[in-house]
Amino acid sequence: MRRPVEAGTAPAVPILALRDVSKTYRTVRGENIVALSQTSLAFEAGEFVAIVGPSGCGKTTLLNITAGLLRPSGGTILFRNAAIDGPTPEVGMVFQGPVLLPWRKVIENVLLPIEVLGLRPASRYRQRAADLIGMLGLAGFAERYPRELSGGMQQRVSIARALIYDSSVLLMDEPFAALDAMTREELNLELLRIWKMTGRTILFVTHNIPEAVLLSDRVVVMTPRPGKVSAVVPVPLPRPRSLALLGDPAFGAIASRIRGLLGPRSGPAA
Amino acid sequence: MSNGTVSTLYAVATFLVVLAAWQIAVTALHVAPYFIPSPLAILHALIAGRALYAANFLVTLESTLIAFAVALAAGVLLGAMVSESRLLRRTLYPLLIAFQSMPRIALAPVIIVWFGFGISSKVVLGAFTAFFPIFLNTVHGMATADPDQLALMRILKANRMQVFLKVKLPGALPFLLAGANIGIIFAILAVIVGEFLGANRGMGFLIVNQSNQMDMAGTFASVFLLSATGIGFHYGLGALRRRLLFWSGTGEAGREAG
Ligand SMILES: Nc1ncnc2c1ncn2[C@@H]1O[C@H](COP(=O)(O)OP(=O)(O)OP(=O)(O)O)[C@@H](O)[C@H]1O
Ligand SMILES: [Mg+2]
Repeated sequence: MRRPVEAGTAPAVPILALRDVSKTYRTVRGENIVALSQTSLAFEAGEFVAIVGPSGCGKTTLLNITAGLLRPSGGTILFRNAAIDGPTPEVGMVFQGPVLLPWRKVIENVLLPIEVLGLRPASRYRQRAADLIGMLGLAGFAERYPRELSGGMQQRVSIARALIYDSSVLLMDEPFAALDAMTREELNLELLRIWKMTGRTILFVTHNIPEAVLLSDRVVVMTPRPGKVSAVVPVPLPRPRSLALLGDPAFGAIASRIRGLLGPRSGPAA
Repeated sequence: MSNGTVSTLYAVATFLVVLAAWQIAVTALHVAPYFIPSPLAILHALIAGRALYAANFLVTLESTLIAFAVALAAGVLLGAMVSESRLLRRTLYPLLIAFQSMPRIALAPVIIVWFGFGISSKVVLGAFTAFFPIFLNTVHGMATADPDQLALMRILKANRMQVFLKVKLPGALPFLLAGANIGIIFAILAVIVGEFLGANRGMGFLIVNQSNQMDMAGTFASVFLLSATGIGFHYGLGALRRRLLFWSGTGEAGREAG
């Protein structure tokens, strides 16, 4: 139902577009590190796009720039066709690690965006926070403090926090990397349900190829540093998707195509 | 028994053993009581002069607590302001750092000349001395706010007040309390020095009088009373720390079962 879009060819009204974005870091020793070079991407409203690429290729950099946290060295970010040069509540983010405020209970951490954005009524959002906490498998932990939770549980709290307010774009930086395979699959399906319900646009960074294929409409494959888009692979698999899809030959074909694009390291296994 | 209770028992037992050894040594060696008094003589002095001690102790305690409260309020307020304002960081901060490197206790005679023999000169001296550790720790705590937490607040487009109240201040609390711990010890020291130099009441005044009269048992009783106060402050702040920093996972708050 969604029109697959190739890199560079912008869709009619992209909700978000990166134009020739590049980023060069200057290290303490004064060397320049090109983390991202000449990256152009456009995202349609409601799309689910996965981003895969070797470690250190600039995925986090790309998300941070898109979120407005980091200024690009070159290029522009367009949100609904207007250039942005800083964060906006329209673009939410789940960081690569759980960033929680340790002095706040789980539920208070989840409600942080509501407080900061001044959204009302409080009772409605408290209910929503409780629902999200349950949905993410944290029922019974709402009144606990972060240090009483495992790393994976903390990460799920930070996901609930990003989902509690309706940003039209959600950037997720390897949100499920710290989870065991079973929880991960469960949360993948949960995320798809939430995505479908809310109509958000999601950019989802992952190292896990099956996860990328299972979730997304398109998979952006990045080259090793300096990172740029090496290919955009459409995933024309039917929705709603379930774990049964993992055994589907069409699924396997897409996954191995991506594996091939990621480079020689992933040659035929024994 | 919990680990904490066992530790306390060991500490108390050690203390009692030292006191007993002291008592035996002083008695056995016939040390003159105006040179080193025995623990029992000190205890006796303390009980006999309890009204005197109580009156002077309350004066010192009052000066110390007021000085500490002033130092805490000023230290946290100025620390927060210096952290939030680049202008103040460039102007006020270097000035205060210059003050900080000065031996503040050396100003005691001047402050007594300015503020008189009453409680106010002790409060000023105590507050002035206790201010710096609190101020510097607050500045340090705010400067080391977690960059990830700040990024989170930026994503939400939080305003400066929100960032300050929700991230910087709570994050600086461990540093602030460490500063307060040093501050209250500084405050009591400065108040006693002030009372040594010019006062007609307070423990510092009492100690000077007692030692002038060779009343060693009395002098030691005063010193013990002050030590006990120091220990009281230490434990009081420790309890406060555990209440306020339960979330940090450091200290005894992270208790294990058994
Ligand atoms: N602040 C910085 N200063 C200097 N170099 C940096 C900085 N941040 C990132 N880099 C470099 O830029 C490159 C891209 O980093 P980035 O964090 O975007 O990678 P990534 O694709 O997210 O990796 P991973 O999958 O391991 O999370 C890396 O080589 C990194 O060393
Ligand atoms: Mg990364």
